[in-house]
Amino acid sequence: MNPMRNCEGMTRRNCLQLGLAGFAGGGLTNLLRLRAQAAEKSPNPAKSTARKPTSVIMVWLDGGPSHFETFDPKPDAPIEIRGEFDPIATRTPGMFFSENMKALAGISDKLCVVRSICHNQGNHGAGNHYMMTGSPTRIPVGCGAFVSFHPSFGSVTAYERKTPRGLPGYFSIPSMSRSGGPNFLGAKYAPFVVSDDPSQATFRVRDVNLPEGLTDDRFMGRRDLRKLVDQLPRFADAAAGDPVGAVDTYTQQGYDLVTSIQAQQAFNVGSESEKVRDGYGRNAFGQRCLLARRLVEAGVPWITLYDGGWDSHSDIFPKFRNDAPKLESSVAALISDLADRGLLDTTLVVMLGEFGRTPKISTLSGKGSPGRDHWANAMSVLFAGCGVPGGTVIGATDRNGYAAVERVLSPENFASTIYRKLGIDPDKIYYTPQGRPTHLVSDPTPIKELMA
Amino acid sequence: MPRSASWSLTAVWVIALASAAVALVPASVDAASPAAVPLPATHRDAVPAATSAVNFELDVMPILTVAGCNSGPCHGKSRGQNGFQLSLLGFDADFDFNAIVKQARGRRVQPSAPEQSLLLLKAAGIVPHGGGVKLPAESENYATLKRWIASGMPRSQATDPKLVGIEVAPRDRILPAKSREQLKVTAKYSDGSKRDVTLLTAYQSNESAVAAIDAAGLVTAGALPGETAIMARYMNHIAVFNVAVPLAGKVDKDIYASLPRRNFIDELVWKRLERLGIVPSEVCDDATFLRRAHLDVIGTLPTADEARKFLADTSPDKRAKLVDALLARPEYADHWANKWADLLRPNPYRVGIKATVVYDQWIRDAFRTNKPYDRFVADLVASRGSTFRNGATVLYRDRRSPEEVTTMVCQLFLGVRLDCARCHHHPFEVWGQDDFFGTAAYFSRVGYKGTGISAPISGSEEFIYTRTEGTVKHPLTGENVPPKPLFGSAPVKDDEDPRAAFTRWMTSPENSYFAQVAVNRIWTEIMGRGIVEPVDDIRATNPPSNPELINALAREFRAQKFDIKQLLRTILTSHVYELSALPNPRNNWDTKNYSRHYRQRLRAETLLDAVCEVTGVPESFAAMPPNSRAVELWTHRVQNLFLDSFGRPDPNQDPPCERLAESTLVQSLHLMNAPSLHDKVTSDKGLAARLLKQDAAPDEWIEEMYLSVYCRYPTTAERNAAAALVPADRTKQRQFAEDLLWALLNTPEFMFKN
Repeated sequence: MNPMRNCEGMTRRNCLQLGLAGFAGGGLTNLLRLRAQAAEKSPNPAKSTARKPTSVIMVWLDGGPSHFETFDPKPDAPIEIRGEFDPIATRTPGMFFSENMKALAGISDKLCVVRSICHNQGNHGAGNHYMMTGSPTRIPVGCGAFVSFHPSFGSVTAYERKTPRGLPGYFSIPSMSRSGGPNFLGAKYAPFVVSDDPSQATFRVRDVNLPEGLTDDRFMGRRDLRKLVDQLPRFADAAAGDPVGAVDTYTQQGYDLVTSIQAQQAFNVGSESEKVRDGYGRNAFGQRCLLARRLVEAGVPWITLYDGGWDSHSDIFPKFRNDAPKLESSVAALISDLADRGLLDTTLVVMLGEFGRTPKISTLSGKGSPGRDHWANAMSVLFAGCGVPGGTVIGATDRNGYAAVERVLSPENFASTIYRKLGIDPDKIYYTPQGRPTHLVSDPTPIKELMA
Repeated sequence: MPRSASWSLTAVWVIALASAAVALVPASVDAASPAAVPLPATHRDAVPAATSAVNFELDVMPILTVAGCNSGPCHGKSRGQNGFQLSLLGFDADFDFNAIVKQARGRRVQPSAPEQSLLLLKAAGIVPHGGGVKLPAESENYATLKRWIASGMPRSQATDPKLVGIEVAPRDRILPAKSREQLKVTAKYSDGSKRDVTLLTAYQSNESAVAAIDAAGLVTAGALPGETAIMARYMNHIAVFNVAVPLAGKVDKDIYASLPRRNFIDELVWKRLERLGIVPSEVCDDATFLRRAHLDVIGTLPTADEARKFLADTSPDKRAKLVDALLARPEYADHWANKWADLLRPNPYRVGIKATVVYDQWIRDAFRTNKPYDRFVADLVASRGSTFRNGATVLYRDRRSPEEVTTMVCQLFLGVRLDCARCHHHPFEVWGQDDFFGTAAYFSRVGYKGTGISAPISGSEEFIYTRTEGTVKHPLTGENVPPKPLFGSAPVKDDEDPRAAFTRWMTSPENSYFAQVAVNRIWTEIMGRGIVEPVDDIRATNPPSNPELINALAREFRAQKFDIKQLLRTILTSHVYELSALPNPRNNWDTKNYSRHYRQRLRAETLLDAVCEVTGVPESFAAMPPNSRAVELWTHRVQNLFLDSFGRPDPNQDPPCERLAESTLVQSLHLMNAPSLHDKVTSDKGLAARLLKQDAAPDEWIEEMYLSVYCRYPTTAERNAAAALVPADRTKQRQFAEDLLWALLNTPEFMFKN
């Protein structure tokens, strides 16, 4: 099965994709060198004493990862529920993960697992929407739906927060998640998608880097030429509402992005030491985690790391045996690296999908190997950083993992927690272009255990 | 207005009702009112008649509404607030009465100690209230609520007068900057009585910067000129005050008298401008007109040769001749069909690929044959047959319930947004659930045969037919609702498809909405701003910027038998259409009276097609024949980064028809650095390569590029500046030509219709 597909066999439209094409090659080598020298002379902003504004890295496991095979093992359940894996002890006494979460178990003192978030949207379209926006879909939608009725976390964050150096405020890597769009906030707050693979030597961000074969000298020449031929009169009076003004703003931001050493450096995972790169895992997902850390350092407030293929209707055990360790060790490396750099205090890392999986293992007709189906009555969400108490488990499911029974929490509680961490009031009211008032989150109560 | 005045007026009201006061006393024990709670006899009997002349519907609900208690962000939202829910803006009196009197074990109201009622404790902020202090304990409204509770929470009786409407005085004014005007709102009742409800009315200015209004109805004009509407809402009734704040200083009347009047459009626009003291811009030059008309009529740039020919033509009527020639071009159909496809286009993953293609072709055919607009709509709304043969039926394959069709048809073809009225009374309009379901009933007999939706393939054929019966139910009463249009009458004849009756009503001369929203859409496409904005939101509280103009255009459209090309000809040959985009000191603030042409960024497909035409390198699309143009695509699901970046509708969004007209960072970056664009500019088959091969002098190819991209000759200064930069080394000239082409394509002069 193609990892970017889910059970409906559909891939998302490549909306606003910008990624692809190598970083090394052309680039703005000379120009960047000059700028780098200039940057060194100026005081280092990172050393300022002011608290860095909060960023969020959301690791989105599309399809809905099983809670049994991740953070909510049920060793006492019957075999048809328990599955093939054993629980393992973590660094924290009394806290157990599934055996494939070894690296995360090793840093459990930094982690908080919430085992009791649940909702009632058992298909991908609706589940994605609920967990990606904090709002249920307004009308029932199907499994294959890619819908947006409410702005996503990332779009709201980009809308509410300024980002330095011309960088967009919302990145989605390597693709947009299903309901990750801006809805009524407008395309300006759509995710900036970096779809290319940073583990490749040729990685570079399309449209932010010059096209292959264009030297920076020639680019600067073009830029001068553009200035020369751009003779369309602008309206001096702001009341005249010249739409060309916005283009001028964005063109300038585009130039800034293309020629800003800080912005370009944020994408330059190649400048990391071999040791660091190895630590994150020499694969696409691992290096995307590294890219996310660099974007956080550059001041980007929201990064979604999208990883598809967790819709395990079949082959669930080989999937977790083969793919989970790679993924979770990269996430563990990301959290540890953020901690080492003093960034974890201001960065919230969350990992989740749209729902959990059915307790009872089943084999769908036509499939050789068993799996688990969609299950929104329970899911496990991982939190780290930003004041979240490490080494804790919030809530619980029943002994067979059917339903959240202790500290039952909603997607609204989840959304409100995230917005509070970002300093955004979840009770805020937005007005849609139709004038309809819309609460950012209908229930603005965060998960209080995470807010200490 | 001082507060005390309102009190005395309330007192007048009590006296006016004195004759009915007897009936008011037993209040809420009316058996016909199911939500009413029988109260202990002691409560009722203890209350003297004179003070109980306050009832829930006429006195209490207006207070809850004006204080915002039942608004969307507070207790009016569907989950209520902290367990207390009211109907949105008070559309359901029974529900609200029940919530206040009966729920929470009755502790919200305490007739024996009214001031201890939770309703008052909360509203006055005596106990903590998330919404803040809404009714201070010393206020008039607080006193009214207290009196109502003390008198045993009476409800309005069947014999009581009913609220029938409100009036605002004055209705419109031209206000000098920073001046003030007090509005007075009067409620009218079924017994002919009136009541001043100025202080119980909620006000909202559509543009507070132009004219703001406070809670007491005092309007304050802003410092800058402009126009806006102010809405006054008392219960479910709306009245509108229109205000214009003209630019200070006098304009010579002769200026308007001497302006050309080619048709009624000019006459009506000048009239409006004169009223507001706005002076229109100059006429645009030939090159601007040429480019503008091409983009508006056929969505295609003129070639360099076409530009040369037009600019050299000295005949006085060359602009009108150009308009005629463009209307006859085949590109017209695709360009205008594409606009309608935005509104109708279904998701192929939902309705199936074949159905989507057949629908797309049906729309294009209508524009190819210049099908009269009323026929176009009637064929669509009353469509029957196979989704594989009659594309119009795919509307019903896509929208499968009477409710869905109602929302879509009313918004598209009447400019009436009924969506709100499906669940609650439209907050800014007269429409309620009765109107919604009365309209939906016309679509209750649409039948389906064959294979329905089976996403994501949905590949099968389906047949749409008219069933012999079918009903819709009112969600509150549960009763069948008979077909009833929004206004007027549209009886369904025996053996007739109710949809036929509905289309007859829609397209009849008595229905002003139908032609208005159509001309408004077309006008907006050309002029960059709707006379009504948003284009499909026609209502009293969203008045047109020029009512006479939209009416005249609608009349003309009907008189011309809904001929879209003829309407376009009328608009494009007006003097107003030819105005320059450049503002002057007396019209630079005008953004809705058409005193200048409003710049528009080219839509995604037009822009991509223009890039392909100018560079001479076509785009390759999946699921399309080679050399297809973007405007010919049958679905937005054909992958293309350029079109996504420039805001074609995203089929994943709800509603899917939103098209982005704004500019974004992504767009600037895409034009600047996209490899596909770079390839087009530097292609060996491209414009730069072609021009340089012809051994032309730099001066000639610089001119050719300006004509191709900007549709004008370079000025002498531009020509010299560019020529001075051309490298002497001929081998380096092509690269320079490519860079010049890139530079031209990256400017607003290319991206915008000026």
